Amino acid sequence: MGRSVWKGPFVDSYVLKKAEASRESGRNEVIKIWSRRSTILPQFVGLTFGVYNGQKHIPVNVSEDMIGQKFGEYAPTRTYYGHAADKKAKRK
Amino acid sequence: MTDRVCVGAIAGSFGVKGEVRLKSFCAIPEDIATYGALASEDGKTTWDVKITRSVKNGFAARLTGVSNKEAADGLRGTRLYVARAKLPDLDEDEFYHADLIGMTVFDTGGTELGRVKAVLNHGASDLLEIAVKGARQPTLLPFTQATVPTVDLKSGRIVADPPDGLFD
Repeated sequence: MGRSVWKGPFVDSYVLKKAEASRESGRNEVIKIWSRRSTILPQFVGLTFGVYNGQKHIPVNVSEDMIGQKFGEYAPTRTYYGHAADKKAKRK
Repeated sequence: MTDRVCVGAIAGSFGVKGEVRLKSFCAIPEDIATYGALASEDGKTTWDVKITRSVKNGFAARLTGVSNKEAADGLRGTRLYVARAKLPDLDEDEFYHADLIGMTVFDTGGTELGRVKAVLNHGASDLLEIAVKGARQPTLLPFTQATVPTVDLKSGRIVADPPDGLFD
């Protein structure tokens, strides 16, 4: 069952504070957060969060198409390397 | 840069008519048959591959020179390689994982940070996993224009401008 619209998206308050502080400082830094359950809001676009996966902080560059998702979706708790083969990486 | 890339492996025989069960490691699995002849790990044997059908966890395929089940069974576990030069050229900001892995990462001041161990993507952007000298855990660096301004494939150097606190 979905969350009631009148409540608005859930975000841990410390994430909002850290994001606001980082934006005001204008520094290029990774904002370390432990809140995997927080929703990605439009004001987070362009910032880089370090989302904890239980072991380390995974850097997550927030882009527009990630709005509405949860931070935890971008920091998996298990890692599978696989083979490089012909896989490509794109520098955005 | 590696001169050969592992694109698949033979998982055993398929049926009794000399077909093999092929595991593809390619981004698009069917592409394994488009790179021409595939070579064994030592490079001494090559096979032309023709995919006959799709099966669970891979493909059934015919290899040149493999005509019976015993020969197909004998190839079980063989890794299949293709020359790096046979992979198609990419756009300016696209790189093969195989090219990036093993490159040395320097900061903008010229200090060596480490070596690229793997390239990951968890849905946000590509990440370079960098093995840092003396550190127990590798560091993840976002693969973006801002954090990785220079990738020099010829000299095997990556220049990174990491965000504050990432390599502390």
